[in-house]
Amino acid sequence: LFWSGSTVAATMAEWSGLHSSTSRHTMDKSITLPPDEIFRNLENAKRFAIDIGGSLTKLAYYSTVQHKVAKVRSFDHATKATSDELYEISVQEEVTARLHFIKFENAYIETCLDFVRDHLVNTDTKVIKATGGGAHKFKELIERKLGLRVDKEDEMTCLIKGCNFVLRNIPHEAFVYAKHADSEFRFQTTQPDIFPYLLVNIGSGVSIVKVESEDKFERIGGSSIGGGTFWGLGALLTKTKRFDELLQLASKGQHTSVDMLVKDIYGGSYGSLGLTGDLIASSFGKSATADKGFPKEDMAKSLLHMISNDIGQLACLYAKLHNLSRVYFGGFFIRGHPVTMHTITYSINFFTKGEVQALFLRHEGYLGAIGAFLKGAEEDNPNQYSWGENYAGSSGLMSVSPDMNPMQRARSGTFDMLEMDRLERKLVNLPLLQDASSYIPDTVDLAEDALAREYWLYCFEEALDGVVKRALASQPDMPEAAERAEKFRQKYRHKLQTLRHQPFAYGSLTVRSLLDTREHCLNEFNFPDPYSKIKQRENDMALKYYQKVVKSLEELSWEERQFALIRGVLAGNVFDWGAKAVSDVLESEPEFGFEQAKRKLEERPWLVDSYDQWFERLKGPPHKCALFFVDNSGLDIILGVMPFVRELLSRGTEVVLASNSAPALNDVTNGELQILTESIAAMDPVIQAGLREDRLTLVQSGSSSPCLDLSRLDKVLAMVVRERKTDLVIIEGMGRAIHTNYYAMLSCESLKMAVIKNSWLADRLGGKLFSVVFKYEVPAAGHDSEALTPP
Amino acid sequence: MAEWSGLHSSTSRHTMDKSITLPPDEIFRNLENAKRFAIDIGGSLTKLAYYSTVQHKVAKVRSFDHATKEATSDELYEISVQEEVTARLHFIKFENAYIETCLDFVRDHLVNTDTKVIKATGGGAHKFKELIERKLGLRVDKEDEMTCLIKGCNFVLRNIPHEAFVYAKHADSEFRFQTTQPDIFPYLLVNIGSGVSIVKVESEDKFERIGGSSIGGGTFWGLGALLTKTKRFDELLQLASKGQHTSVDMLVKDIYGGSYGSLGLTGDLIASSFGKSATADKEFRCYMAKSLLHMISNDIGQLACLYAKLHNLSRVYFGGFFIRGHPVTMHTITYSINFFTKGEVQALFLRHEGYLGAIGAFLKGAEEDNPNQYSWGENYAGSSGLMSVSPDMNPMQRARSGTFDMLEMDRLERKLVNLPLLQDASSYIPDTVDLAEDALAREYWLYCFEEALDGVVKRALASQPDMPEAAERAEKFRQKYRHKLQTLRHQPL
Repeated sequence: LFWSGSTVAATMAEWSGLHSSTSRHTMDKSITLPPDEIFRNLENAKRFAIDIGGSLTKLAYYSTVQHKVAKVRSFDHATKATSDELYEISVQEEVTARLHFIKFENAYIETCLDFVRDHLVNTDTKVIKATGGGAHKFKELIERKLGLRVDKEDEMTCLIKGCNFVLRNIPHEAFVYAKHADSEFRFQTTQPDIFPYLLVNIGSGVSIVKVESEDKFERIGGSSIGGGTFWGLGALLTKTKRFDELLQLASKGQHTSVDMLVKDIYGGSYGSLGLTGDLIASSFGKSATADKGFPKEDMAKSLLHMISNDIGQLACLYAKLHNLSRVYFGGFFIRGHPVTMHTITYSINFFTKGEVQALFLRHEGYLGAIGAFLKGAEEDNPNQYSWGENYAGSSGLMSVSPDMNPMQRARSGTFDMLEMDRLERKLVNLPLLQDASSYIPDTVDLAEDALAREYWLYCFEEALDGVVKRALASQPDMPEAAERAEKFRQKYRHKLQTLRHQPFAYGSLTVRSLLDTREHCLNEFNFPDPYSKIKQRENDMALKYYQKVVKSLEELSWEERQFALIRGVLAGNVFDWGAKAVSDVLESEPEFGFEQAKRKLEERPWLVDSYDQWFERLKGPPHKCALFFVDNSGLDIILGVMPFVRELLSRGTEVVLASNSAPALNDVTNGELQILTESIAAMDPVIQAGLREDRLTLVQSGSSSPCLDLSRLDKVLAMVVRERKTDLVIIEGMGRAIHTNYYAMLSCESLKMAVIKNSWLADRLGGKLFSVVFKYEVPAAGHDSEALTPP
Repeated sequence: MAEWSGLHSSTSRHTMDKSITLPPDEIFRNLENAKRFAIDIGGSLTKLAYYSTVQHKVAKVRSFDHATKEATSDELYEISVQEEVTARLHFIKFENAYIETCLDFVRDHLVNTDTKVIKATGGGAHKFKELIERKLGLRVDKEDEMTCLIKGCNFVLRNIPHEAFVYAKHADSEFRFQTTQPDIFPYLLVNIGSGVSIVKVESEDKFERIGGSSIGGGTFWGLGALLTKTKRFDELLQLASKGQHTSVDMLVKDIYGGSYGSLGLTGDLIASSFGKSATADKEFRCYMAKSLLHMISNDIGQLACLYAKLHNLSRVYFGGFFIRGHPVTMHTITYSINFFTKGEVQALFLRHEGYLGAIGAFLKGAEEDNPNQYSWGENYAGSSGLMSVSPDMNPMQRARSGTFDMLEMDRLERKLVNLPLLQDASSYIPDTVDLAEDALAREYWLYCFEEALDGVVKRALASQPDMPEAAERAEKFRQKYRHKLQTLRHQPL
């Protein structure tokens, strides 16, 4: 158990461990913070904002991060002489924007402010935006400590602004809570249009806010029966003054001894009114006539039910009155407390008979701080960018049922962080998604599939040594690389362990999120592209065979060639450093050749085989334009994909090649692909003509993941797809076509091709190692008619 | 009835003797001919209903026959006094504590033996079923509580003018009665018993429980008992009427230092009920009771408004034991409704709200008599009238739940309807001056009627020169009417 404090990972874990082992009542306010781990990047920080609630403070700031990025550049023709290499790799420093949000108990506020002041270098900052009920209480302290003018912002406006921001920028921000389900949290896919929605903020009281657009919201209702009522009445009834303890009591109690149920009055259900016997007829209805006192637990439970039901009912009524189906709940009553999430969810289900779902937000505690920050940063126009959660720097969602994980109770004594990186480009949906609002990129939700989760967590842990070795090897000249590599190992291992216990920490747990977290951690310790050298070597090697491969394909009949091209793509896809089974082979047999790979491939019929339909389609008119999401460097892109692209171009089909914006494993990046394509064009007139006539286009996907989220793609890509009237989407590789998008429905023809290079996954899909998935899909003529057709 | 109340209020109700001798003929009147019994047993009060016939004298005039005309007299017509039998409904309300004594009394005086069944409703119906069957020798026939409630409500709204009223604590008169609407449907009935039922009534037979809440009278009582150690509902209300909720509740200004202008929230608005209790050092019983009352009343008011809006209903009646005769709860509910609907919806209360279940149960049993085909009128002589006023104004009210309360309705010979020529039947008010709202006029007319009483008594006596006991009856009349006038002076409503 990593909570035991046995790990030495330089992360928040020690922190939590430390505090949970000390009594929070006697917590020393001058405790020494491991500050660089919490208030990161303070040197360049600007645009501070602070949200001071009843017990927690949230600090937000904007900073810039300098980190290394790998760049590729063609050698000048002049200097080309000396080297066999096609391009040179350089590591450059790049500055990107990052938003930091830190949450801590109000008790730490002085210490934190001192720390911030001592480490603040940027002196342009004159103002700190402040919101929350505590803003006016601590105003003087903040001004004195930081020397900044406190500028108060409207609490509700900040809350809504923050809510819009997370709903828009964090996939899987919202979730449904289900206490007894396989996984407690069921994350919702990001909706392209987040409005309108209802936000029910349960603080001391309740505010019910209808949000219609970025700037338009209205408090349509509220109630004085809220978190403060639970706390206040609970304290009076049980003499327990701590909110968390009251919740703990409530989770153990039996409300039926205190509440009057329908059956207590009518001896059973009240059938003609549809009231079941177990329904609470009167909260605390038995306590007036009881002879003896009640256990604290029972009263706390009854109180919790009473308040949650009431809020749930009001929320439903307001939602109905205003015709809203999305209702988000937040505020300190909800925040990370499974007990309250459960009772609110139950109440909403009861009152709406399932028509409305109670939604909760992963970063709900930060909404006010985010909003206040955005108010102050309006001149930077943060909403014009897309932002992504930095898994390496964010703490993730910590809560589980208190019984399952007693650590949760200690949570409010810890620091919690959220970091968001500004993405270079605005990300949008692929316009060819059949239904953007129901699109889920990931094939398996590991949070809901315990067996799959076990396997993949194990798999990633097993692969960790290899990744560390690879990272080290990529920076042979840097003496401190070993130390950074070790830090990376510890951080990523710790993340894996966290995910083992809290699978929902970053939303849905998927193979994609595991891969992405690894990339974020590698970047964190300045290993921007561990595979750069390998990719370079393989690209150089593959290029030498290109003409030979093309020539042998030319000699085939049209029919034979079509099949050979597909086999070529599949054989190329066998080369994948991301798959353990293959990387072992590649490591031991560097000369593992293209022909050998073909021999490894499963013979037809493949595991999923719609080649015949594809072949029939090829006999028809050419496609207007194909969008091709490519996978690996080397043999894959050069000997597998390019000949296929060549054939498409020859048929008269335009081709858009979409590759990663930044490195992930050995996937070919957009930068590399530019150079490779030019070099191929020099050997191949078909490719050359394609480029010249603008019939072959290279775009970046906007992603730096080995997987593919079709709802977060570069805006330029979406534009090109629309302009060219794309009517075929090709997705290649295990990460993009199986771990993600296997079930994605597109509004045009699509081809998903992959070789299964993982025996466990092969097993799951009913195949074996190197089984082939070749999935050609044509959308039904009309969705309506499809729906009406019996299966 | 006043003596009665006086009697009980002067004795401790905790030690009330269940076998106390009742002056029975004043309460269970006309039992000899009673039939069609119905009983509604609530958490603390029992309501008994029965149908009876009353024989009473009516004055008739008749033209003299032509044959005998010439004889002795100059008179155009002759006057005679005849006996007539009319139907009357009796409703009696008493504390559950009296139930055995009452049942015994009813059995002893029941003459009509055709009655085999008693309709029963209310939560207590199954608890007392066996007792009733044993005592009365009648089969208990349980009727659906909600159906009875609605039936009763429709009946009083239809038959009793000025049944519904608006409560305004600080106005000239506490109660503002509504004129009877020709069409009483649709309306919303919010019944606040232990819990809350919110019922939409669309026609005589069509209603639906569209919502409810577990935060009701039982919650006030139960939580109140836990917080204040006061176990009696009335005492809790008394506490609540004295308290200051602002030391317990967190107000908007406690959080924001003033109003929250951009959201339109005033500083005095309750932001969080009991929001200060977690951090408070002291606890005051009456403060907590007040805060609790506000919390529950506001919540019910808000729910009622939301359901009314959702279903497009503008008439919302409140009833149930939480409301029944308690000015404190009527005030907080009214306040809440006004706040949440900005005056669009009015909180309406019913004068005979406590009888609805019993009336409904009775009507269920009397369906063959088809009581809805007749019009009925309240018999002021036999009905107790609305007793409640602010507890501070009249300490008697506090003792009320220990008393008997009666409603009698006479069947009118003909069905009464609106004059079709009224310009707007729904806004027609027959009376020119409402004495309840005009204190000066009230003073004068009450004085005037009292002054005139002697003359009326004299006139009555003179009308029956041949009857020796007329003097005694005339004296009884004087006392009863004078008492009514005195009651009205203190309780104009």
